[in-house]
Amino acid sequence: MSMFHLGWFTNFSNPPWNHAWAGTEGRDWPRGRAHVEFVQALERACFDYVMLEDSSMVSDAYEGSTRADLAHGLYAPKHDPVVLAPLLAAATSRIGIIATASTSFYPPYLLARRFATLDHVSHGRAGWNVVTSSEDRAAQNHGLDGLPPHDERYERAEEFVDLVEKLWESWEPDAQVLDRDRGVYVDHTKVHTLDFRGKFHASRGPLNLQRPPQGRPVLCQAGGSPRGRDLAARHADTVLAMAAGPEQMKEFRDDVRARAVAAGRDPDAVKVMFVTSPVLADTVEEARARADAARTPDPLKIEVALAHMSAVTEIDFSTLDLDAPLGDLQTNGHRTTLAQFLKHGRTAREAAIGWLTGNAHYVGTPETVAEAMGEDMAAVGGDGYLITGNIGRRFVSGITDGLVPALQRRGLTRTEYAHETFRDNLLEF
Amino acid sequence: MTSSATPAPFTVGWFAGWGVPDWSGPWAGDAVQSWVDGTFTVETVRDLERAGVDLVVMEDLNYLSDVVGGTFEQELRTTARAPKHDPVVLMSRLAAETERIGLIATASTTFWPPVELARTYATLDHLTGGRVGWNVVTSTGDRAAQNFGLDALPGHATRYATAAEYLEVVHALWRDGSVEHHGEHLEVSGRTGTRTPAAGRPVVCQAGASAAGTALAGRFADVVVSYPPGVEAMREFRDQVRAAAEAAGRDPDDVQVLYLVTPHLGETEELAAEAAARYYDPTDAAVRRRLVQMSGDVDFSAFDLDAPLPDDVSTEGSRSILDNLRRVAAGRTLREFIGSQRSEAVRLVGTAASVADQMEDVLAQVGGDGFLLFGGGGGVLTRRYVRELCDGLMPELRRRGLAGVPGDDRPGATLRDRLRDRRREGVLR
Repeated sequence: MSMFHLGWFTNFSNPPWNHAWAGTEGRDWPRGRAHVEFVQALERACFDYVMLEDSSMVSDAYEGSTRADLAHGLYAPKHDPVVLAPLLAAATSRIGIIATASTSFYPPYLLARRFATLDHVSHGRAGWNVVTSSEDRAAQNHGLDGLPPHDERYERAEEFVDLVEKLWESWEPDAQVLDRDRGVYVDHTKVHTLDFRGKFHASRGPLNLQRPPQGRPVLCQAGGSPRGRDLAARHADTVLAMAAGPEQMKEFRDDVRARAVAAGRDPDAVKVMFVTSPVLADTVEEARARADAARTPDPLKIEVALAHMSAVTEIDFSTLDLDAPLGDLQTNGHRTTLAQFLKHGRTAREAAIGWLTGNAHYVGTPETVAEAMGEDMAAVGGDGYLITGNIGRRFVSGITDGLVPALQRRGLTRTEYAHETFRDNLLEF
Repeated sequence: MTSSATPAPFTVGWFAGWGVPDWSGPWAGDAVQSWVDGTFTVETVRDLERAGVDLVVMEDLNYLSDVVGGTFEQELRTTARAPKHDPVVLMSRLAAETERIGLIATASTTFWPPVELARTYATLDHLTGGRVGWNVVTSTGDRAAQNFGLDALPGHATRYATAAEYLEVVHALWRDGSVEHHGEHLEVSGRTGTRTPAAGRPVVCQAGASAAGTALAGRFADVVVSYPPGVEAMREFRDQVRAAAEAAGRDPDDVQVLYLVTPHLGETEELAAEAAARYYDPTDAAVRRRLVQMSGDVDFSAFDLDAPLPDDVSTEGSRSILDNLRRVAAGRTLREFIGSQRSEAVRLVGTAASVADQMEDVLAQVGGDGFLLFGGGGGVLTRRYVRELCDGLMPELRRRGLAGVPGDDRPGATLRDRLRDRRREGVLR
């Protein structure tokens, strides 16, 4: 059995604030200390990376009001992950740190420079999660009336990523010569303008800083639509995947790998990571009881799920009859998320609960869950899991101090980092 | 204001970019490596905090220039302005490694989307416990614009008009979390998903000394970076800023004008004079380096070094730099004044005690508000110089009650508190 990778999917927003093990983080999280401790715990458990998703809006898609979004702390508050990343880097030495930034709103030069800087401060451990954004509300924050249509966003993103990669390469690897005798710090003949003029973006270049330690920071991609998968196949080092069960997982992975081959890349250079949120307890029965409790359809949970879904699709789910068939829903936003949601049930009520608990693929003790994860991964072929769920210390500890040691005892995940940079570790197996 | 028996304390800040320190000189140490991941800057800022310095301004530049001679050669040889890393990325680490010092990072209103900037600085304000500031620049140089896909930089007037709208937008976002702005230059409507910043609003710093820049500072700035040449110009400039603040309906004491200085210290006056002589020596290298620093859109190296600056040169970039230059040159040839001319308001040379006298005397003549210590820009700064200021000059200023007093033992105070305390002490005395 070969080893697989571990990552964690979260963001820079409030950890759980109103349950039994919330501590005082509902108040304190903006200082970043909870996130620092969290990422240190992941590094102890030898995770490949933490991925910080992001969005830049307060949603009022549900009920035409920001009430639900803010009352439940769903899409807001959410703080800028690019600013948190250097703090996480300074507190760790091996784990990869991926921050999200949108190709629809960031100027390419600013993004290329910021992530190159991040790669320097982290000694080659920075990653960029490429998103195209999915909400008109976010676009309006940036002075646009709405987002470009889904496929055009991806076309723009393709060009954006091309440009950013070229900016990262605008300094040759050996440009820094440090010739003390001649007084030459950098050889200017190895630093090049791009004069990039695309359909959507332009930049003269070069960057005004040295080539990032990794050459280019790790690229992560999360959109599951065909355009998203193509983007991933061409550029990404790691892909976030939502799939239930080994069959769907394998299908997704095979598809991404085939697209990578078609794009002329080694499919092993693209690590597909499956999002999951294990439910752990001392006994299997207890774990099942917890998973069942999570499925109780109480109105608060249903509202949370529907408001969340409204935010990313900009469909007002509050207007729908909870128990009527959902019918055909269309969005210019998060298409994959909507499709996943619709798979969970016939009505809004069913789908809401199914979707909220949909990542609970593994329920049991650390030992039984580790066993099951290993079996599924063997059937799929790779490449790893992206743990998600609240980052309250107790839940995190369940994973890092319970599940991961059980995985390590089985030889399924690493017990030490072999390399210094993020990509090297990602490509180790 | 005249010199009084009891000295008035003033603000002392530090001004630097995240660029290359002196990497090849006798006191370069490991700076050639340690600047790259930010460690050099972190250590510097910790020293400054220990010494009682109030704040740090991290300047920035968004491009690698080939204005001098049409290539990157001089820029990369002298490292006066490049390479340069994105200072926003270093802020969270600086915050984590310090407790009290104010941290001000530069970002351009010409290139950064306002909602992203508002979110980033609000995030930083939380991470720093209210110690962050934004140094507002409108950028200079067509080369910067070309990195962002524009053919040329918008004109000076347009940039400043845009900046004023931009500041209104960002302040509204910080204050209310939402904005509805339809201006001549900016259209923004929306909300940020960040909590109201810890300090209410991050401190605003401004550096442009043109009429438009002064007006902008009067309306919005808490701190102004400047280097008018000589005591008279310093007083004149400060009066202009204060008048602009009053015209904008603000208390002029809410704006602190800080002057760039590069003190040269020695155990004796003679040793200090020798250090200064080395620094101001118009060697070929010094002239070359200075030309690079000065060349925004104008290639100063194209002019005859042995003739005065032609009258028909103008720029849409930094007007105040060009105006200052003419004033200082006063008909002298470029070679005559350029080699020894530096970005500073007054020369300060002597023992710690005599430099403290000079600082006190200058501020008594000018009226206030403080100094920004400047280590000379890219390619020049050494740890040794930082230590001279921190362990030589600052203790002398503190002994006299001029700097680093109260506020200092108050971890948890915001930068705005600190600036306000400093002013109150000045008034009380």
